[in-house]
Amino acid sequence: MVPLFVLIPFFSIIILNLFPKKLMQHLSFVWLGFLSLAQVYLVAARPVWFWDTKLELWNLLFSFRYSVDVITLVMLLCIGIVVFISLLASRAMISDVHQRVNFKNLLLVSLIGMNATVLVTDVFSLYVFIEITAVSSYIMIAMNKDRLGLEGAFKYLILSAIATVMMLVAISLLLLLTGNTSFEAVGAGLAGAGNSLFVRVSIGLFLCGLFIKSGLVPFHGWLPDAYSAAPAPASILLAGIVTKVSGVYVLMRLAISVFGLTPSVQALLMFIGAVSIIIGAVAALTQTDFKRMLAYSSISQIGYIILGVGCGTKLALIGAVFHLFNHAIFKSLLFVNAASVEKELGTTDMDKMGGLTQRMPVTGITSVIGLLSTAGIPPLSGFWSKFIIIIALWQAGNFGYAAFALLASIITLAYFLSMQRKVFFGKLRSGLENIKESSMGLIVSQAVLAIITLVVGLIFPLVISWR
Amino acid sequence: MKPSVLLLPILIPAIFGALMFILPRKARHTVAFLVAGINLALAIALFRNNLIYSFPWFAGKIEFALRLYQFSGFIMLSAAFFAFLIVIYSLNFMKGKNLQNQFYAYILLCIAMANGAVLADNLLLLLFFWEGLLLILFGFIAIGRPGAFKTATKAFIIVGISDLCMMIGIALTWMQAGTLTISKINLALTPMAGFAFIMLMIGAISKAGSMPFHSWIPDAADDAPLPFMAFLPASLEKLLGIYFLTRISLDMFKLAIGSWISILLMAIGAITIILAVMMALVQKDYKRLLSYHAISQVGYMILGIGTCVPVGIVGGLFHMINNALYKSGLFLTGGAVEKQTGTTDLHSLGGLRFKMPITCACFLITAASISGMPPFNGFFSKELIYDAALSRGMIFYLAAVVGSFFTAASFLKLGHAAFFGKERNELKAVKEAPLSLLVPMIVIALTCVIFGIFNYLPLNHFIQPVLGARLEGHSYAGFHVNIVLTLITILVLAGAFIHHIFMAKLKGEGLKAADDIRYAPVLSQTYDLAQKRFFDPYEIGLKGMNVFSRILWAADKGIDWVYNSFVPGVSYGVSKGIRRMHTGYYPVYISWALVGMFAVLYFLRK
Repeated sequence: MVPLFVLIPFFSIIILNLFPKKLMQHLSFVWLGFLSLAQVYLVAARPVWFWDTKLELWNLLFSFRYSVDVITLVMLLCIGIVVFISLLASRAMISDVHQRVNFKNLLLVSLIGMNATVLVTDVFSLYVFIEITAVSSYIMIAMNKDRLGLEGAFKYLILSAIATVMMLVAISLLLLLTGNTSFEAVGAGLAGAGNSLFVRVSIGLFLCGLFIKSGLVPFHGWLPDAYSAAPAPASILLAGIVTKVSGVYVLMRLAISVFGLTPSVQALLMFIGAVSIIIGAVAALTQTDFKRMLAYSSISQIGYIILGVGCGTKLALIGAVFHLFNHAIFKSLLFVNAASVEKELGTTDMDKMGGLTQRMPVTGITSVIGLLSTAGIPPLSGFWSKFIIIIALWQAGNFGYAAFALLASIITLAYFLSMQRKVFFGKLRSGLENIKESSMGLIVSQAVLAIITLVVGLIFPLVISWR
Repeated sequence: MKPSVLLLPILIPAIFGALMFILPRKARHTVAFLVAGINLALAIALFRNNLIYSFPWFAGKIEFALRLYQFSGFIMLSAAFFAFLIVIYSLNFMKGKNLQNQFYAYILLCIAMANGAVLADNLLLLLFFWEGLLLILFGFIAIGRPGAFKTATKAFIIVGISDLCMMIGIALTWMQAGTLTISKINLALTPMAGFAFIMLMIGAISKAGSMPFHSWIPDAADDAPLPFMAFLPASLEKLLGIYFLTRISLDMFKLAIGSWISILLMAIGAITIILAVMMALVQKDYKRLLSYHAISQVGYMILGIGTCVPVGIVGGLFHMINNALYKSGLFLTGGAVEKQTGTTDLHSLGGLRFKMPITCACFLITAASISGMPPFNGFFSKELIYDAALSRGMIFYLAAVVGSFFTAASFLKLGHAAFFGKERNELKAVKEAPLSLLVPMIVIALTCVIFGIFNYLPLNHFIQPVLGARLEGHSYAGFHVNIVLTLITILVLAGAFIHHIFMAKLKGEGLKAADDIRYAPVLSQTYDLAQKRFFDPYEIGLKGMNVFSRILWAADKGIDWVYNSFVPGVSYGVSKGIRRMHTGYYPVYISWALVGMFAVLYFLRK
């Protein structure tokens, strides 16, 4: 019944919108919450009745080919968690009824797109679902119709369009070359085609499209604007999962099972990863906007994942997937922190904050956990994934990159600590005396994410051997 | 006697020494007295026995080996003798002083460590006790007058560094001999073994207080409690240092008469004699003056042992025990003066001979002994050393005789200034010292006389058996010494006396009798520098370390600058640059992406 991951959200949109809006906003909140938690449950517990039953009727109508492996499962898990968190945040952050309904519809569309992206097995369907996800994201970013939101959405749209062109060209070239679009056939075709210019251009273009989607340097121009301009629940969703699914996951999937990790692709990925790590981290150092800083930090962390993918050994891929999962958790956590500060203060300018832990203890403390995990401080989950990536790099003989990844963590710590000092620690800034801890939905999401970070870090051997 | 009895002289004082920290105030004196007495009784009972006791230690890698024989028994007995006297002396002297519990604890621990070091037949075990003594030395000085911890640190560093040399020496000896058991080591003097010898020798002579490891002793004389001076630098450390020097020279290494090490030892001895006595001559403080003699006299012992001829070694060892006697006796008289008058500054002393007649008598006897006046004990041991030194070279003999001249001169000055001369008004009320201070002094003074007149007693029973067959049946007991040398000695002493009388008359004061030497043309400036500690190796080392630490400080600043200014500066600069590049103008971003695409395609061209 795996296609239900896609079908249920699809039919939900239709059915939920039949209700009047006032009812629909509550109904859809409950339903989406159920859907996302059910997804987490189904992936975590993997009941046989769900995974091994075939949908005979559906198969008569469509042929939806899918494959499920560990990476898919991890991605489905992340999608479930982040969608749930984003849903909670939307409840707290969006007060307008129409906007709430809109956001939930978009969230469902996004859920369809992401679930399908991680399940499909041919490049064209992949492209289609990436676009579905992306379209829902554009609208989410621009939802408030303010200047910055529109600008961010526009930049994302433009650069995504370029990515689309690149990917479409690549897909058509691949189709020409191999006569098919399924992963297996394209992979086999490419293996048989040797190393012609044709092949290299198609691979290169596809990779560039995905680089744009993932926001790697120098393809990242849209990312800081989009992340910082989007409404809080949208930025949680975008930073936490959307770019990871439509960019990093696809890149990982194609590089491993379609293009194959040739030495030149590996070198390219590691180089791009390293550049993203350092540029993202250094740029984050001087940001004054909370969400913008988190956006640059995202670029840097995605760099780590790509570095792991580029290394290509089994351990490195484990580390990359693990870091992908951790990043979904702790970056969502930090964006929720930002959201709750934004909700109470009405701004994301860090220069206007100070000593907020006194007023917002949960936000202040969970952000410490989030940042320490991002910077790779033991025993939090981020430490282990970074550690595995660095170990794998070292074992594979990429000593320079290993040392580089290690040193870049220091910069990560530097900008996060200065953020923490500016925003949460120290004396309470005058004028902020009346600030209260933010609403229950955000507190719960922060607590849940922080606990996941902590627990995964503590029991990481179990997490690593999970399959 | 069971061999395991050898553990007693180590364990009993060690346990009671540790207990001393927690014993009630009233019990301390009694316990210290009793333990010192038991230790003396044990040492007497063990003397003349030959015992070996050992068990595996350190996971069986190292033997915990103790060996009692003639020499170690002798040193143990002497140490116990002095410890007992010093404890009796302290019973009264330390009354009303602070930190008594520490003082007695250190005395007892010191006895334990000294017994351990003497009995140890394993170099590492020896080192263990040796380092224990170093720790106690620090504590002992630190409980002196306020600020004494600086001197304690100085002593700790000087002795610690030389102990480090000794450690290296032990490692080298182990490497070459293949064993750590002292009685099994017998190395020929190859260059490597010579180096090991020097390293061990540094440990030994630094313990004995020879130059250039001496400079903490005069400072300690000012700062540390006086019984400490009478016990450690005056007697115990000399015994241990010379004991170990003799062990390495006689047993562990085959030291030949003509070898360079012999010359080196004699040179160290001669230089120490002269320089330290020159410094002693110009001191104006009772204890400080004595402390320089404590250094100077070591020179005679090292010179004697360094000659490598039997008569020299016998003389050196005899001088060791004699020096321990008269030097601790002298310190005790100094302590009595300090206790009764409240000062040891010679400027404010004078005419004490009627007020403190017994103290004065003890002083005269011990001072005569140290000056080498016949028939006291110092005369005989010095004559033996003169004899040996003359056989090895005129220069060494001259150094020893000149040293003797200045020794006599400085004690004439000290005695004149403290006990003779005019009686001072502020000292009118001074009384003779109490009995418990007098008894140790009297015992020591008497022993000095006995060891002089009946010198066969120590020589035949204590010292000559140590050398055994080396003496080839020869005995140096009795008055057998060279008549010519004796005459020269007497002439020199007479010269010193005449010089003193003449100069004291000239200057009108006993204290200034040595001023002609103090203010002689070249010596004057040298003395000024020496008084400013210009020649103190410790001070020189401190200056060197100061330069070194300044360099490190600068390097540290540099590293700080890299971390605190350079790296953040560059990072923030780059960060701002990157920020400026993100104009928010989307065509720029598009062009980046396109440039990136072409770069990727170009990269994948191969």
